[in-house]
Amino acid sequence: MNNRAVQLLNRNPYLLSLLLLIIMVVINRALQDNLFEIGPLNGNLRVFTPAILVAVGQTFVVIAGGVDLSVGAILSMTNAILATQIPQDATGDVFVRALALAIGAGLLAGALNGFGVTVLRLQPIVTTYATSFIFAGVALRILPEPGGRLPRELTSFWRNPLAVSPDFALPMSLIVIGLLILFWVVLTNIRYRQNLFATGSNAEAAYSTGIRVNWVKFSTYLFSAFFATLAALALTLGTGTGNPRAGDQMTLPSVVAVVLGGTRLAGGQGNAVGSIIGALILGLIGNIISFANLDSWVRPLVDALIIIAALAIPGIFGVMRRLTR
Amino acid sequence: MKAISVQVEKAVKTYGGVVALAEGNLTVQSGEVMALLGANGSGKSTLSKILTGVIAPNGGQVLIDGKATSFGSPQEARKAGISAVYQELSLIPDLTVAENIWLSHEPIRGGFIKWQEMRANTQQLLDLFKGLYGTNLQPDALISTLTPDERQLVEILKALSFDPRLIILDEATASLDSRQVNRLFELVQTWKSHGMAIVFVSHRMEEIFRIADKATVLRNGRTVGERVIAESNERELVDLMIEGATILQRERLPVVDEQKPVRLAVENLRTNVLRGVSLQLRDGELLGLGGLQGQGQSDLLMALFGAIRCEGQIVLSGQARTFHHPRAAMKADVALVPGDRGSEGLLLIRSILENLMLASWSRYRTPIAFSKARADGGQIAQELKMVMSSLDAPVNSLSGGNAQKVVIGKWLLRSPKLLLLNDPTKGIDVGAKAEFYNLLDRLRDAGTAILFYSSDDDELLGLCNRVLVLHDGEISAELREDKLTRENLVAASMGASA
Ligand SMILES: Nc1ncnc2c1ncn2[C@@H]1O[C@H](COP(=O)(O)OP(=O)(O)OP(=O)(O)O)[C@@H](O)[C@H]1O
Ligand SMILES: [Mg+2]
Repeated sequence: MNNRAVQLLNRNPYLLSLLLLIIMVVINRALQDNLFEIGPLNGNLRVFTPAILVAVGQTFVVIAGGVDLSVGAILSMTNAILATQIPQDATGDVFVRALALAIGAGLLAGALNGFGVTVLRLQPIVTTYATSFIFAGVALRILPEPGGRLPRELTSFWRNPLAVSPDFALPMSLIVIGLLILFWVVLTNIRYRQNLFATGSNAEAAYSTGIRVNWVKFSTYLFSAFFATLAALALTLGTGTGNPRAGDQMTLPSVVAVVLGGTRLAGGQGNAVGSIIGALILGLIGNIISFANLDSWVRPLVDALIIIAALAIPGIFGVMRRLTR
Repeated sequence: MKAISVQVEKAVKTYGGVVALAEGNLTVQSGEVMALLGANGSGKSTLSKILTGVIAPNGGQVLIDGKATSFGSPQEARKAGISAVYQELSLIPDLTVAENIWLSHEPIRGGFIKWQEMRANTQQLLDLFKGLYGTNLQPDALISTLTPDERQLVEILKALSFDPRLIILDEATASLDSRQVNRLFELVQTWKSHGMAIVFVSHRMEEIFRIADKATVLRNGRTVGERVIAESNERELVDLMIEGATILQRERLPVVDEQKPVRLAVENLRTNVLRGVSLQLRDGELLGLGGLQGQGQSDLLMALFGAIRCEGQIVLSGQARTFHHPRAAMKADVALVPGDRGSEGLLLIRSILENLMLASWSRYRTPIAFSKARADGGQIAQELKMVMSSLDAPVNSLSGGNAQKVVIGKWLLRSPKLLLLNDPTKGIDVGAKAEFYNLLDRLRDAGTAILFYSSDDDELLGLCNRVLVLHDGEISAELREDKLTRENLVAASMGASA
């Protein structure tokens, strides 16, 4: 590989993920020929949306040099809140109140993580792993068994594609993805972005420069918790019911998606758009595994391999750079 | 510019049991260059960081314009008009030059960063050093791709971008070559005439006498005196800094024995930067490399050490060799002391002893003779006058100069046959430098061949019999004996062949 290519990849690591995504789409398409029809497309994307949202939130934490292992539990907790607070006959008012409650609880959870990391100065892994048990416990307290049923109007609003014109409909989840990208583009053009990346890259230097490093770190946990709550909303609307263990399998994949998207696990470099791509890749891998009738243990194996590869990538890049000098 | 007067009174800073600053006093005002002098570990950086709000003192007070102030954070000091060039730099490797310079005060409209304006402003600042840096240094270049001197320039411009009333230059010249230093001094003169106050920290005495109006001297964390430069001399200042110090006074350099075997012969060496370099180095010889920054001196040393790729012929100890990896070079008794301790890979949170021994464990066989290793480590630490609480303290608790001594010690412990020195005395105080030079003499007597690059011309003049001056990847001059003068060195640096 020549120098230019290495440099391009170094600066835009998600280009590699984009390539991987295309490969996954091609394989998926070969196994499922109606993949691009509105029905399956809508269904697939809707199922992927919670994971995408969680991954976007996780991106903030990872860029700042931390990791949030409690996102799954926060999702479970807020999912339980939404399912119990929105009865089948809920009005708009009730829905808004429930949503506000869930977001409030989510942010509180995020604040607790941020407090542990910035004030108590505990390791992010330790803090969020510990708090995840609290949030998981709260979820079970609120909703001991899967249950609850949301109003049909509400769920069908989310489930059905939005008819833009008589012969063109847009999956709601695609709109969400569009909004997420827009959100990231806006964010990359404000000072917060600079503070975030500086903090993750060299916190000491950032502090000397006058950046409130602790606030930045704190804020990333609020972001990850907030997006986990949005993920819970997407999940609750998608399934129409609640499950206190809904987030059990969401945490590790969120980290994997972030890494797949080209965000550096050590912090200081990254991209939420990449994380969206990463989550899509993981979703498609899940599809492929089930279509190809592979055993279900393949999925965690794939996750693990991706993490190991991600940890090795900086080293590989380093070797390439040495060789091209 | 609004005038400023700053006074630090009896500032104290301790880390656990370690006293970094026992009684720091400093007074400086508008239109004045105050030199801050002291040996490695005497508290200069600590005092500077108290002024910029990075470190909260345990005692004493800071008076700004006569008013007692205590900075809770760097941004408060910034608001008071104080900014600094930090010794260990405060740059973010993953951000670009422009992003670094304007970090935390980016030009914005409606919350959005004005990238174009930011880039243009950066270019304007860079133009202050026009022609004195490589083509690599652009507003959009990542910091991680820059050379040490380019990073240093960015750090200076970053401090300047805050439009400070007081600027602290903590060893800002250590990585710069003579032309860059000259330009910086011109700038300092203009700042001064505009009413800026300047605190200047350097271990190069010659610079102090060129630029400073007054000097405040620290010894063991205590301010021991203030002098007007015009009424003082080097001897007096060094005496204040270091008790019973000896300044390096060389009557005659040891002669090279032409009978000694040639340790290293290089023929037509080429890298990305080098365009064909040839040289010969005998055992017991100390050959200097001079010239401006980035003319290929580092490349030459790195290539010899197997750290970068090269073409051409290298004959070491009579054998043609090409090292593909530093490990191979180390096996062949080659050692390289880098000056850039940041990227050299000191394990910052590990102990001094571990760092010293990092390259030499294999010499202590299994089972590792720990007590022998500790004794050797302790000896080199003492020889280099390392100021530390103990060998087991982590390296990140050391002052800049003392950390650099760890880097030197680490490689000297391997007793190499060929020693490559890449600007090794960056940030090292006068006393320890003299010790280091004595150490080099002893190595030379023992037959070690030494190739020595220094960005400090005085060092080359004082130490070497022979200096190769590099310009644009080629040797532009070989200066020896009576040809080895400051004038010739400067002329050859500019590319004039002698
Ligand atoms: N974080 C820390 N923990 C423990 N000791 C420290 C820490 N930072 C500094 N020190 C100690 O404080 C003393 C003063 O350090 P300082 O960096 O101010 O020295 P300096 O005068 O700038 O030296 P140099 O010329 O080497 O840069 C040193 O002995 C150092 O070991
Ligand atoms: Mg210092």
